[in-house]
Amino acid sequence: MTRIVLGRRVALLSGAAAVAAPAVLRAQSALNTADPIRIATLTPLTGSGGSYGPAMAKAAAGVVEEVNAAGGVLGRKVVLVSEDDQTNPDAGVRAARKLIDVDKVSAIMGTWASSVTTAVAPLCWENKTFLTSTSGADSITLLPHQGYLVRTQPNTQLQVGHAGEFLLSIDCRKTFTLVPQTPFAQSSIDVLNRVMTKGGGTHGGLIYDDKKTTYRTEVDQALRFGPDAIFCAGYTPDTVVMLKDLYRAGYKGKIIGQAYAINQKLIEQVGQVEIVEGVYTFAPSPAEGGGAYERVKKITGLANPDPYSSQVYDHANMVLMAMAQAKDTTGTAIKDNIRKVCQGGGKPVDNAVDGLKAIAAGEKVDYAGASGPCDFDGKGDILDCKFRYEQIKAGKPVLVKIF
Amino acid sequence: MDLVVQALINGLVSGALLAVPAIGFTAMFAVLRFPNFSVSGVATLGAFAGYLAYGAGLQMVGSLAAAFAVAGIVGLFLDRVAHMPLVRQGALPAAIASIASGLVLENVVRLGFGNDMRGYDRPIARDVRWGDIRFNPQQLETMAVAVAIMLAVFAALAFTRIGKAMRASADNPELAALKGIRPQRVAMMASFIGMGLVGMGGMLLGLDSSIDPLTGTRILLSIFAAAVLGGLGSAPGAVLGAFLIGMAEELSVLVVGSPYRSAVGFFAILIVLTARPRGLLGERAF
Repeated sequence: MTRIVLGRRVALLSGAAAVAAPAVLRAQSALNTADPIRIATLTPLTGSGGSYGPAMAKAAAGVVEEVNAAGGVLGRKVVLVSEDDQTNPDAGVRAARKLIDVDKVSAIMGTWASSVTTAVAPLCWENKTFLTSTSGADSITLLPHQGYLVRTQPNTQLQVGHAGEFLLSIDCRKTFTLVPQTPFAQSSIDVLNRVMTKGGGTHGGLIYDDKKTTYRTEVDQALRFGPDAIFCAGYTPDTVVMLKDLYRAGYKGKIIGQAYAINQKLIEQVGQVEIVEGVYTFAPSPAEGGGAYERVKKITGLANPDPYSSQVYDHANMVLMAMAQAKDTTGTAIKDNIRKVCQGGGKPVDNAVDGLKAIAAGEKVDYAGASGPCDFDGKGDILDCKFRYEQIKAGKPVLVKIF
Repeated sequence: MDLVVQALINGLVSGALLAVPAIGFTAMFAVLRFPNFSVSGVATLGAFAGYLAYGAGLQMVGSLAAAFAVAGIVGLFLDRVAHMPLVRQGALPAAIASIASGLVLENVVRLGFGNDMRGYDRPIARDVRWGDIRFNPQQLETMAVAVAIMLAVFAALAFTRIGKAMRASADNPELAALKGIRPQRVAMMASFIGMGLVGMGGMLLGLDSSIDPLTGTRILLSIFAAAVLGGLGSAPGAVLGAFLIGMAEELSVLVVGSPYRSAVGFFAILIVLTARPRGLLGERAF
């Protein structure tokens, strides 16, 4: 056996090196040792929204990666924690509790289902954690959130009102809404009712339980109304069953639904093109062709990223720029500064890296991203949005118009 | 009026599909003496096993056999490994463990197949009308298969040695053991057949709609309510309970509105446990 004998000089040198090592490492990379900034995504990786959540989380991770590569925010590294809300309010609340209490994040981004956002929002505002959402129910921004919430998804009023105008434009005057029990259920019926009545038409509606495997009786009730168009306002799993039951029942009128529910996955899942033939879909239109949208394409690896990935990409950019603007990383700092970086004029930017540089140089920035202009009113709703209407023909969605 | 008749017919169809897993659930309760809530995961597993077999070219009967075999074997394994060792501590620990196994199975399916919904590659037919009432030929076919399975189960319980042994063990385990019936063997058969039926039920429901990892969870309450309503442990009771729950759920859409449809199951359990804890047909195994 060989004995290693350390001389006095060697031992002293080693000791000094050991003591100095942390300082040397710190000097090498301030990003690695300073307390990192923690933000989170809470998206539906499973459940009804499971087809959107992974790309949404990826979009935010892409932004964080770009920002860290460019030096972080306020000289600190950004750490993104990603949790699954399972498209379920209970699971969403458990995940949010963990993000707030254990991870101590200052912002939670991307809640998708309205029921999840509604359940998670009170936790956020009580703990002064900023929440950015992609949910549409009117009731969400009416919560007493004290400014700790914004959303990039147009509210039900804007979405269903727009769809109603579209239905009138294609000569549908007797419409019926089939909507699952969700925070946007009653307002969807009320808004379409108002638009139809104003346009000289009539409207009926029914709220259903989205956990059932058959909707024959619900379909019977809808068909008794004799509609020329049915608005299927559910999520993908229940809409699959609903469309099959409408087909079985021999319904031959028009059908319209949200593009987040009636998507390529639904078409594949229904598996029979004539069931979905001619069905219209609508969705908030992302800012296609813009630099931000192109980056979302690159980050997510999708040729046509959905509106939600685009929105979460914007959330991450705005949250990080708001921190830089505030020179503070708390949820309250984000709340007080988010509108300063995305509206009210200034240097137009479409990504946080450029925005952070401009903010560091003392410039005012105005962010417009992948989902659109990102201008918010006092309640946290976006002010304006364009919609994209498509119609399924031979199993493929075909653009009808954007307006 | 025609809406009510149509709702009752719709209820008969869903009741028939519900009856198959409800018989499995109640048969296992009769012999093993604990409510096995892992039926949610096993129904999902059966639906996916049937889906794979159907995709591989087996027809409905072959796919149902595959669903039965896979669900039966996995259900038996779970009972041996996770539930039965706890039954000695009482029904509650075993029931709680079965909730956990159901969740594990659901997530195993999720790991293998993802969250996407899948549909059996079976063209959907338009309904046939008879006056104002409509029937779907495929749903009638599925219902007929469900009824055939039920008849086969009743015939097995009435006429085969193992069926008689199961009934004897359910009625009086000590007496059955004295007569030379091996309780271990009967318990294993009950697990295998009960879970196999649950797996076939999952596939039959999937044929009618679509399948995903939550398929079984969606029907768990209805299965449990059907078994409790008919009398936990009674196979004819489970069938009666399933038809009543199926029809009550459809009628509730007309009376109290569709969002309260799920409340029917809870309401039925509440009423039965308050007014007649034995259930409609009592606990007799047959």
